[in-house]
Amino acid sequence: MDVVWGKNLTSFAVGDVLAILERQRDIAYTTVMTTVTRLYEKGILERERDGKRYLYSPKLTREEFLLSTAREVLDEAVGGHQAMAMLAEKVSEASAGELDDLEALIQKRREELA
Amino acid sequence: MIEATFPLLGVAFVALVVLPAFALLAKVGLVMLERDEVGGPLHGLNLRYVLLSGSSVLPIAWLLSAGLHQAESGTSAHACLFDHETSELCLEPGFFSLVLAVFVVASSFGTMWRHRAARASSSDAAHALLRRLDRIASNDPVLASLRGRIVVTDDHGFALGTHGLLRPRVFVGTAFAGRVSDEMLASALGHEAQHVRALDPLRYLILRVALGVNPVGRALLEPHFARWQAAREAHCDREAVILGAAPLPLADAIVIAARPGAREPVALGARDTAVLKFRIGMLLAFSEQAPTRCCHQGLSTFPVAMVLLLVALLLPHHTGTAVLDLLHTSTERALTYFWR
Repeated sequence: MDVVWGKNLTSFAVGDVLAILERQRDIAYTTVMTTVTRLYEKGILERERDGKRYLYSPKLTREEFLLSTAREVLDEAVGGHQAMAMLAEKVSEASAGELDDLEALIQKRREELA
Repeated sequence: MIEATFPLLGVAFVALVVLPAFALLAKVGLVMLERDEVGGPLHGLNLRYVLLSGSSVLPIAWLLSAGLHQAESGTSAHACLFDHETSELCLEPGFFSLVLAVFVVASSFGTMWRHRAARASSSDAAHALLRRLDRIASNDPVLASLRGRIVVTDDHGFALGTHGLLRPRVFVGTAFAGRVSDEMLASALGHEAQHVRALDPLRYLILRVALGVNPVGRALLEPHFARWQAAREAHCDREAVILGAAPLPLADAIVIAARPGAREPVALGARDTAVLKFRIGMLLAFSEQAPTRCCHQGLSTFPVAMVLLLVALLLPHHTGTAVLDLLHTSTERALTYFWR
């Protein structure tokens, strides 16, 4: 979905996603097709037949998707102990790797937009 | 029966039974509000705030007022007559209110202590940062409202936050500012400007105090508080972006602010990045598609909270204090029963 949203693909075939992903790493057509089919089965993508293939399109924007999952994500929220409004609560050192991942994600988006 | 019985036992009953019961009711309301399929936790922030804080504040306000009302008007005499066989003016409800007030203040002390402000610094680095912040704020109409309200601190480990109850100020850590670009700092200040505008430090403090005086009920409400606070932060991110903050630099600033410094003690646990991931995800989405205002927040918090507080304080004067009499006689009878 990151590829679909990031590249703003409004109508695409499995081959379109494969072409984008192949530029980043080796990946098999069947892997992409399985993933896309699962996303369709979960109701995140919709599809229509176009000759012998399917054309997929996202049912939700990234924001709508995040809002729809907000409940389960925020179920994991742990309250801060400061009685003041902080930009962000400090996380434990154990989570440093996750912060690196988030930074990489932001950087990737910046490069995509550039 | 000694006169200290009701003030002490009554307050214990309030802390162990009455407030947890109200917390349970509030929890039912909160679960229903959060059950919305799409963006549930982001909806009704104001109403959820009133439920979270009101479940402690409103019963305490009513009980304080009722106790004082009985002591002042002598309407407590019949409860005292029943238990003490005297028709003299009975001040027990007044002492009950006093002990309840002491309990509230004592329970709030820890929260108040944590709420103390970071120290303002006057080092050369602090002055240089203030000039930088002034330049950033003067270039942005939204941030212009923060001019004169920005304080710089050298406090170890402090990143960026808003402090101050009635006149909030934004505190910026010199170490944090040294790690972020002007664009990141401007976006982060845009986020804090939303906290300043909404008097969030006051809201957070009231909520923390409300949960602090209800130690049993807090276990029920803490997850809802965590979700409310997370949603509030996400709401401020969204508002900041709508008003011109750049989403990706804001996301960067949030991640940098969350990173603990060397030897910095951090109390949060293994799941502490859940909120960060959600906020960063939303900001990434905003970088693709500009956000619009979302999620009905309900009526403005402070006017509603003030009206409810006023009603709780005035109600004993107009509708009587029979519930306090019931609490009074029940606690003393319970003690007599167990004492036998």
